[in-house]
Formats: sequence, structure tokens, C-alpha cells
Amino acid sequence: MAISIAVRDCQAVLRPNWCFLIGMEFSSKDVQMPGLQSKQSSKEALPALLIQVPSQTIAGFDCVGADATVSLNELDKEGQQGSGTTGNKDIVISIPAAPASAPRAAAPGHAYDDAQIPYSISLSMPSSPSGFHLSQFRESAVRRDESRVAPTVAGTGFDVHQAEQQQVEVPSPQLLKQTRFHSQPILHTSKNVDEARRCDNTRDKRFDPFKTFSGRLERQLSNLRGRPQEPIDAASPESKISEEETDQVPAADRYFDALEGPELDTLRATEVPVLPKDEKWPFLLRFPISAFGMCLGVSSQAILWKTLALAPPTAFLHVSPVVNHVLWYVALALMVLVSSIYLLKVVFYFEAVRREFYHPVRANFFFAPWIACLFLVLGAPRLVAEMHHGVWYALMAPIFCLELKIYGQWMSGGQQRLSKVANPSNHLSIVGNFVGALLGAKMGLREGPIFFFAVGLAHYMVLFVTLYQRLPTNVTLPKELHPVFFLFVAAPSVASMAWAKINGNFDTGARIAYFIALFLYMSLAVRINFFRGFRFSLAWWAYTFPMTGASIATITYAAEVTNMLTRALSIGLSGISTVTVAGLLVTTVFHAFVLRDLFPNDVSIAITRRKPKFSKILAHFRSSSTDMKELVLSFSKPSQSDSGETDRSVTGVREEP
Amino acid sequence: MGLEASSSPSSLKPYAADDTCPMGTGGATKPEARFAILTRFHAGYFRISLALSGQALLWRTLSDSSTDPRPLARSLPSAAFLLLWSLALLALLALCALYAARCLLRFPAVRAEFRHHVAMNYLFAPWISWLLLLQSTPFLRPDAPLYHLLWWAFSLPILVLDVKIYGQWFTRGRKFLSMVANPASHITIIGNLVTARAAAKMGWHEAAVAIFSVGAAHYLVLFVTLYQRFLGSDSLPAMLRPVFFLFFAAPSMASLAWDAISSSFDTGCKMLFFLSLFLFASLVSRPTLFKRAMRRFSVAWWAYSFPLTVLALAAAEYAREVREAAANVLMLALAVLSVAVTLALMVFTALRTGDLLPHDDPFDCPLLAPPLVR
Repeated sequence: MAISIAVRDCQAVLRPNWCFLIGMEFSSKDVQMPGLQSKQSSKEALPALLIQVPSQTIAGFDCVGADATVSLNELDKEGQQGSGTTGNKDIVISIPAAPASAPRAAAPGHAYDDAQIPYSISLSMPSSPSGFHLSQFRESAVRRDESRVAPTVAGTGFDVHQAEQQQVEVPSPQLLKQTRFHSQPILHTSKNVDEARRCDNTRDKRFDPFKTFSGRLERQLSNLRGRPQEPIDAASPESKISEEETDQVPAADRYFDALEGPELDTLRATEVPVLPKDEKWPFLLRFPISAFGMCLGVSSQAILWKTLALAPPTAFLHVSPVVNHVLWYVALALMVLVSSIYLLKVVFYFEAVRREFYHPVRANFFFAPWIACLFLVLGAPRLVAEMHHGVWYALMAPIFCLELKIYGQWMSGGQQRLSKVANPSNHLSIVGNFVGALLGAKMGLREGPIFFFAVGLAHYMVLFVTLYQRLPTNVTLPKELHPVFFLFVAAPSVASMAWAKINGNFDTGARIAYFIALFLYMSLAVRINFFRGFRFSLAWWAYTFPMTGASIATITYAAEVTNMLTRALSIGLSGISTVTVAGLLVTTVFHAFVLRDLFPNDVSIAITRRKPKFSKILAHFRSSSTDMKELVLSFSKPSQSDSGETDRSVTGVREEP
Repeated sequence: MGLEASSSPSSLKPYAADDTCPMGTGGATKPEARFAILTRFHAGYFRISLALSGQALLWRTLSDSSTDPRPLARSLPSAAFLLLWSLALLALLALCALYAARCLLRFPAVRAEFRHHVAMNYLFAPWISWLLLLQSTPFLRPDAPLYHLLWWAFSLPILVLDVKIYGQWFTRGRKFLSMVANPASHITIIGNLVTARAAAKMGWHEAAVAIFSVGAAHYLVLFVTLYQRFLGSDSLPAMLRPVFFLFFAAPSMASLAWDAISSSFDTGCKMLFFLSLFLFASLVSRPTLFKRAMRRFSVAWWAYSFPLTVLALAAAEYAREVREAAANVLMLALAVLSVAVTLALMVFTALRTGDLLPHDDPFDCPLLAPPLVR
């Protein structure tokens, strides 16, 4: 975050970190959030230096709060005045920081010329690509400066820029390279705020756009009964917005712009969700597709215990097959439960499902139900070889169709091109091939398993190379270690088992795949940091099955090469995977029944189709008080990803020859 | 598709007609008219010869009754195969003559073509066509000395071009793979694989394995690069989207080559063939990709034919190995599809000879398009 501050008379060179704190102060004051005034106490937490120096050197700095209680409407008017006089599109919300003698309606131009004002702070809030920035500059100064300096901060940055009578700009050289964002006029702020409060008194219509059978149908029904149709405009503006918003699914780039986090499941602070953020949504809307991860975890455990009970190298453990039966029935019940709930979601909230399908990370989880079914068949208490082949075809058909869709998107290179969406969770779309090949080979099929193995291998190579490259265009790759990385282990371990089954023995090809899996497992295990600082999510269940897969592959390998080491390895890995699953079960139960936040609001489906206008962001902040704090926090966190992104967009991946 | 204003009446041999048109009228028209044709002609037209040679090989394989005692093989008349083979030979000869004339008279254009990231791949096409014709020839046994001589004659240019282009991929600053990779680059791979297959048919096992391994290694790199779809490499014009079909030609050809090398259609061959089949399904299921290219007939349409033919060839080998009803049906369907596509393309070419040499072929003027290397 780069902040340029020039204060001539005090000759103080403010260091960036405090400038930023100053920015926080002003922003919290002059935007005048309800409920944020109480957060003035946070000022006391500041180190003394940060308070003292500005208040001594900059006259009137600390008394801004008294003068700057300009309501938003006034600000808006001022802004319009300013833009009216200068004819520029920029709206500069200006707060005269001078004593009360300063003219109240200080348009930016006046603020500049008036010698009495030692400095002024004004906020210009454009709709820059990733956020808004606060900057203060005069119209003419902008014109003049634009040739020299781009008065913004990369990405979501504050630019608190204090000017004096004579514009003094000391642009840091790196600012010159950064993008320039132009302000846009703020329209209808007050109207929006007013109307946001107006609540629909008859029925809660805010979730209608996501409903399959929404109010439109009801209106038609009432029309048929002869009741006059209520005008559509009477609906609250939010629902109107969201109706237009949800006509079409957001493009893939919007998902990357609006969401963050390794699973793309947190809304960026500058985004406004389509659905209300402060209250709990209907349960079905909060139920994500990643809940199928639980089925993956439990059903793979069933396979593990079946293997433990039946495989020769672990026969000395005398594991009872009852464990497998119990786990299998639990997995089956869980599968039925989760799929019936998700089916309800498909029926009642199809729009939400559609948005999940276009989510770059969630799309891969649509493979999870089918993979879990394959696991269930693999772990079934009866012998797999006796099953009807139709089961395999029925399960592989949807996987095949999904692959046509997902891999086709990668290849044909739209917005979902692989160099952009590559993410460890893409392994879920690969693993299905190998699991299907394993099951088919166990059933005694020949050609079908080879087909899926071939497809899986080719795309696995592509994905593996792409993920290892960590291309700069890959936005979603988590910077630090995250449980999602365990999916790296899944594909090679299952592939080794599948190849062994296809070929009839655990040959060199199977061993190569197995050792790759083992190496990846080790290289993740030594980096284990107990995954501190990550928010628990249901998707973590999906990340346990690679461990289970690795332990099953180890048992298979130990059946071929039986010695002390392989036996110890297989028991150790099985133990680790079982303990992990048990721990995850405890965590899930804790979240479900104690904290009751197992299914938080699934904001990743509620992003707007277009970048929200600043007026909406502002209205949104007004309506929810906690957001400003989040916003400020999100800025105070070093926004490397944002600035990096902007840098990239500036320098560009494309190098023209 | 409206059939308006077809410049020439339907002729059975559009390529020959295409070829004789400038030659026949050459004496009457002014030299610049003939030169204009030469300027507009480019290596992309070798797609036609590629498609026809592939068809010839497919018919040869299907009618090869010595290893394949099936009713379908018997029912194919050998006269049709001979006709097709000679047609392919004629088209290839005509195109080569035209291109040789272009080399002589328009050398800067040829040089610019050589530097263009799409066009340069088509310099492999004539040699591939010759090799395919050689493999399907009814007159020569693979162990004849003339066959060996011809193999050397046709594969040496491919090897030289390989050294040049693959070297460029990782050494030349502005032509590294992530910038120049496009689906047409598959032709370079296919060149290697066809050479390997011909060598394996001759019994030169070591040479075949060597060339196959070069092709396979570069195919791996190219496949990954193309699948990633860097932003910088999005350099294929929409009119050339049919070239996307080459995506599944390469694994099919690899499966054929490996089949010839290991002399049995083993698991590796099957995997390559299945990959090819999947890619085919994946491309066919997104017709919007090709919508813009289908608006007007152009020579790029010929790119549909050759990959389908190679896929049908691999399916024929697969069906010969597996001997299941489903495999036979698959083979038959793919063969019929490829023959139908080729026939339709021939008809279109005959009806729309005017469109064949357009003035605004996106692929045509590599001099106007900025070459990647200055």
C-alpha cells in the first residue's frame, strides 16, 4: 500500500503506516457510519506517537470530527456542486477541516483557493476495479497531476492525500506505474438509502431471485383469480436489483474479483452481496455442494476398513468386518441425507445451484456425489466383482458429462481457462476418472476403465504441471499451506490402485504412481502447521479422502512387497487418516451443535453480476454497521493479492512481440 | 448454405480444376494475375492433400482383407480406392507444384510464412501427405528399396523442420512455446508420428522408436501448454477454429504409430485412442466454438477432415484388436463420418471455388499480420 502525503508547512514526512491510520480516522468520521461513532475508542488504542505528531504538526487535525459531521446528503450535494462547476465527472466529498469560519459548502475548488483552510480532506470514491479508494485532490490539480502521477493506490487502497495551498506532490516513483482509476458520479445515494429501509410488508421477497418458484408464479396465479396485479415497481429496490442481477450467472472473472480466500468463499470487503448479509438465510440456500465432502470422507473410511479386514498384510490385526459394515451404513445414510437435502435445493433454489456450478472452485465439487457413490460401491460389504455392470455405467455417465463440460471449458479457453482457474480442488474432477477405473476393473470390465484411466491421466498431467508452475495468472492458488493441498495426494494414489487392477498386478507403472503419491504426502506432512488460522468449512471433509486413499494404496503395495517397513507404513497411514477423520467429526459436531455455525451464509453464490456501484456499497455500509470495520481490517491487512493483481494487469502477461 | 454464384460448375476434381485454372488461363491473363494467385496461395492449402491422403490410407486399411476377414472389407470396391489414391496424388502434385512456384516467385512471402506461428506448421503438411500416400500405396511393398528411398526423401525434411522448430521453442526469445503454441502446432507432432509409423512398417524398429519418442516428448509439452491456454497464446483467429480438431488427431496418430512399433494394439495404444475419443467428444459437444468459422466456406474447413480420418483409422485398429460389437460400431460410425465430411468438403470446394482463394483469408497474408520475429 503506497500512500503519498505531502504537508508542506509542517515539513513532516509521515510514514505510510500512520498515514494509513489517519485515513482510518477520517473515513470513519466523515462517512459517518451509524454505530461507528462508538468505535472512537479505537483511537485510544493507537500508540501515542501516532496521535501526537499529527495533532501537533497539522493544525486542526484532531478536531475534524467536530466539523466533519456532514451528513451524507450534504456530501452528495457538495459533490454534485463540485462536479457541476467543474464539469468533471469526479465526485469529491470534501470535508473542510478548518475552523468553523471555513465555508461549509466547500466545493473542492473553493477548498483549494481558500487560503484560510490549512488543509482539507476529501474523499473521492470511484468504482475502481477492486474497491474504492479515498483520495483527495482538486479538480485542476488532478488534471495537472494526472500527467505526473496516478493518484490512486494499487487495488483496494486508501489514498489519503493532504494538500495545502500550493499543491505539493511528491509522488513516489512506483506510483507512476500504477493504474489510474477514474471516479464515477454517485447517483441516488439518498434515495437508495431511503428505499433500502422500506421493507416489503407482505412477504420476504429478498430471496425470490434464487427461488425456482418465485413470486412471478404467484403473481400470475393471482392474476388468474382476477386480482389486480401489483405493479412490479412496488417491490423493494433490492429485489429489483437482484432480479436483474440474477438473470444471468456472473462471469468467471466476477467470481475472482468479488471473492477471496483459498476456496473463494469470502466476499471481498468492497462487494455487496445480493442477499441480506446480516441475517441468516434459509437453510437450503446455506447448504453448499461441498457438504458432499462428508460423504467422501466417511465412505472412503469404509473402504479403508474393508481393506484392513481383508488384505493379507494387515490380517494379523484381526480387524472385524463389522467396522466396515457400520461405517458403510453410516456413509450410506449420510449420502442419502445429503443428496436429498441437495435435491431439495435443486428443486427450490435452482438459481443458487446454477451459481454454484459456475463458481470456479465449487464446480469441482459437483463431482463429489458421484465419486462418493463410487466409493460406496467400492466399500460395499458384498463382493464388488459380483455386482451388475450397469451400476458402473450409471455412475460414470454423469462423470463423463461433467468432464466434457469442465475439461472442455479448460481447453476452449473462455473465461474458465485452466491458466486462470487452476486450483487444487480441480483434482476432484480428475480423481473421478481413476476411482471409476478402479471400480470398473474390480468389476471385471476391461475397455471402460482404460478409457477413464487414459482421460484422467492426460488431464492429470496437465493439471499437475499447471499447479506446480503456480502461474501468475492463477489467482486462486492459496499462498500458504491449506488442507486443500492434500488433494494432491488423491489422484496418484488412486491411479496406482487403478492401474494395478487394470494390469492385473502391482507393476512398475502402479509403483511409479504410488511413490509419487507417497512423496507428495511426505512433502505435505513435513510442512504441517496444523493449519492455523483457517476458518473451518465443510469442504475440509473432502480433503481427508486423499489420506485414506494413500493408506489403501499403501496396503495394496504392502500386499505386493511384504516386509516390516511396508506393514508399519500401512498401519501408520491408516491410523493417521482415521484420527484425522475422527478429529474432523468432532470439529463438525462442535460447530454444528455448540457454535451452530456449520452452515454460515454462503456468500459465494450471492455476488452481484456486475461490480457494484459505489452508491450501493455505501448504502450497504449504512445498513450494516459491522462492515466498515471489516473494510478497514481488510485494508489494514497487507493486500498483496490485490496489489499483485493490479501489477499484473498493468505489466500484463501478454508481451507483445 | 446458399449456393449462390458458384464460379465454376461442379467438377469432379476441384483441386485439379483449381490447379488448371491458373495454368490454363495463365497464357491469356497478365502475369500479375497469375502472381496474385501465387500470392494468395499458402501452405494452409496442404490441408486438402492431407485430408485426401488420410482418406486413401483409411480406405486402404479398411479394405486390407489380408488381416481383416470382415464383410465390410470385402464389399469395398478396390477401384474406388485406386481412384481416391490417384486423386490424392494428383491434388498433392498440383499443390506442390503451386507451392514450388510460390517459392520461386514469391520468396519473401514464403519466408514470412515460415516465421508465422500458425503458417509454419503447415510446412510439415506436404511431407506428411507424401508419407501417408506412401503408406497407402498399392504399388510398393514396404520392404522395397524404392520405398526406403522415398521414406528418406520425405522424412528428412520433417526431421530438419523438427530440429528448427523445436529448437525455436526453447531457445528463441520471442518464439518460445507459450507464445507460439496454437492447435496447429500439433501438425509438427503428427509429422514425427507419421514418420515413425512408416519406419515401423518398414521394419526399422530403432528409428521408429527414436522418432516416436521425440514426438511424444514434445507432444506432452504441447498438450500441457495448449490446455493451459495462456492469455498470451490466444492467437488463433476465429476463422481457423477448425484447426482445433487437430487436438484429437495427435493422440490417434500416436496410437497408430505405437501400434505399428509394438506390433500389437496394447494398453498404451488403447489409452491414446481413448484420449483421442474423449477430446473428440469434448470438441463436438461445444459447437459454439466453431460457429464463427462456419459462416463462410474457406480452406480452413478442410482441417475437419484429416483428424476425423485419423481417428477412424485408430478406431479400425482398435476394432481389429478388441473384436466386440461396440468397437465395430464405433469404427463404422467414425469411418462413415470421416468419409461423409470429406465428401461434403469436396462438394463445397467444387461449388465454391471462388471462396477457396479469398482476398481476406486471415491465414493468408503473413506479411500483413505482424510476424512474431522481426
